[in-house]
Amino acid sequence: MNLNEESLQKIAELSRLKIDPKDIQAFLSDFNKVLNYVDTITELDVSSVSDEDLYTNEGNSVRADQVAEGLSRSQIESFAPSFQNGYFVVPKVIET
Amino acid sequence: MSDLWKLTYSQIKKGLNAGEFTPSELATSLISRIEAEDFKIKAFLSFEKENVLKAAAESTERRRSGKPLSEFDGIPIGIKDNICIEGTITSCASKILENYHSPFHATAIEKLLAKGFVLIPRANMDEFAMGSSTENSAYQITKNPFDTARIPGGSSGGSAAAVAASFVPVALGSDTGGSVRQPASLCGIYGLKPSYGTVSRYGLVAYASSLDQIGPLSKDIDGVVDVYSIISGKDPKDATSKNLTAFDPAKAKPVALEGLRIGKMKMSAEIDPDVAKAYESLLSDLESKGAKLVELDFSLLSNSIPIYYIIATAECSSNLSRFDGIRFGARKDPSGKLEDLYVASRSEGFGKEVQRRILLGTFSLSAGYYDAYYGRAQKARVLIKREYEGYFSKVDLILQPTSPTTAFKVGEKTSDPIQMYKADILTTSVNLAGVPAMSLPIGTDSKGLPIGLQVTAPLFHEEKIFGFAKTIQDWSSKVKLPEQIQ
Repeated sequence: MNLNEESLQKIAELSRLKIDPKDIQAFLSDFNKVLNYVDTITELDVSSVSDEDLYTNEGNSVRADQVAEGLSRSQIESFAPSFQNGYFVVPKVIET
Repeated sequence: MSDLWKLTYSQIKKGLNAGEFTPSELATSLISRIEAEDFKIKAFLSFEKENVLKAAAESTERRRSGKPLSEFDGIPIGIKDNICIEGTITSCASKILENYHSPFHATAIEKLLAKGFVLIPRANMDEFAMGSSTENSAYQITKNPFDTARIPGGSSGGSAAAVAASFVPVALGSDTGGSVRQPASLCGIYGLKPSYGTVSRYGLVAYASSLDQIGPLSKDIDGVVDVYSIISGKDPKDATSKNLTAFDPAKAKPVALEGLRIGKMKMSAEIDPDVAKAYESLLSDLESKGAKLVELDFSLLSNSIPIYYIIATAECSSNLSRFDGIRFGARKDPSGKLEDLYVASRSEGFGKEVQRRILLGTFSLSAGYYDAYYGRAQKARVLIKREYEGYFSKVDLILQPTSPTTAFKVGEKTSDPIQMYKADILTTSVNLAGVPAMSLPIGTDSKGLPIGLQVTAPLFHEEKIFGFAKTIQDWSSKVKLPEQIQ
């Protein structure tokens, strides 16, 4: 199958990505090449595999519910893009 | 002592333990080699010389006072830039993490430090481990030490080139679809993708969680065996880590070729003639020594790249959603609106190949396409697993070339993503099935470029791979690493 520009823009929006308008045709062409290549999977006969075959019987991996040391405030501050008074700073999210 | 850099992993281990040289002398020699040659190779993104010398001096002191942490104390190891080291930048060769200092060690790093290894970060890579040539790094293209006009393979190209150029005797990479084996093959060294779940992924920045494994690359087989033994074993911090003890290196004993059942593949037009010739020549030699060759039908596995790309990109679109400019990484805020901050940070922070894979993953997970793509790929993955189980009821090991070609030229495949993806055509099915596989050098082509052999074993049977590699070490020793880098 081939995706058109509108569909690609919709997927980019869902991915929180913006494709530069000058790159859009080249991006679309590459994306469709890849899509046509992986499209061969639609011809594979997978009827011998049931939905149950997709799950393992290994059970859950759990750890003891114990209090342990986490990252310190100064460690978080060292990698946070914007951090003040112990909080990550974000743009205003509530409209007034 | 100035040419200690020439030594293999085994010679280094032996020399350190015999007191023939100190960890500091060794580190100094390797640093000189890196300073003299890495401007041509660009294997390392940054090189913190003072930290390396400090760690080597501490190791020297431990050995001098008769209290080494282990027999490995003082051995230098290169680290790919997607494995977290506390206090060190872990950028995944991406602009979005250019200033990210990890606040913790990956489990594999903790285990290496506990044994006294001297860490040499940060080996270059394809951005977020997405690529087959190390041309997708946001910072620099790594070159192949055998011919600097060519790529070293990817995505662990920095780690592989660092070993092949004798900057380090051993290194860590990560393998999602062939990213340890393919560069190992193109650089004439050993590289292992362990069984899924045997090495903790804690602290390995995730690309595709159900496929990623950390794996060692080394100049010789003992380096792979030792490092795998150290980093393997159950880790409570990784829920996908299997309940297994660490690998016992004593199990890696040479195997008898007499009666060994070997699965082989029929050569196709996609395999370069020189690669096919080296492969066929090795097989006929093995047969003459008593091995039993069984031709396997790999037609299902030839579909593994589409299956791989759907599963890997779906997981990547999910894993990389955490990079939003809020808690870590680079932030771009063009308008003061939250949504614009996300979009700008991600669009400017991720390179084109990463964006392409995120988009493909978002597409295959989207309503309307999920069943046709992602759901179907998951079922096809079960078929691949069954296929391997069927093979291993007939053979002990599967031998294939690791890469269909030897190292290609820089820029040769960058304009065509499909051609680039096909570089991993023989390796991706191994990750889908979770089985272990290693690339080892078996010869060179007419241009003197290395050819690698991929040895695949049943799940959790790394010892079979190591044993076979030890048995045919003479073949691998034919490939000489370059002393002069052109």
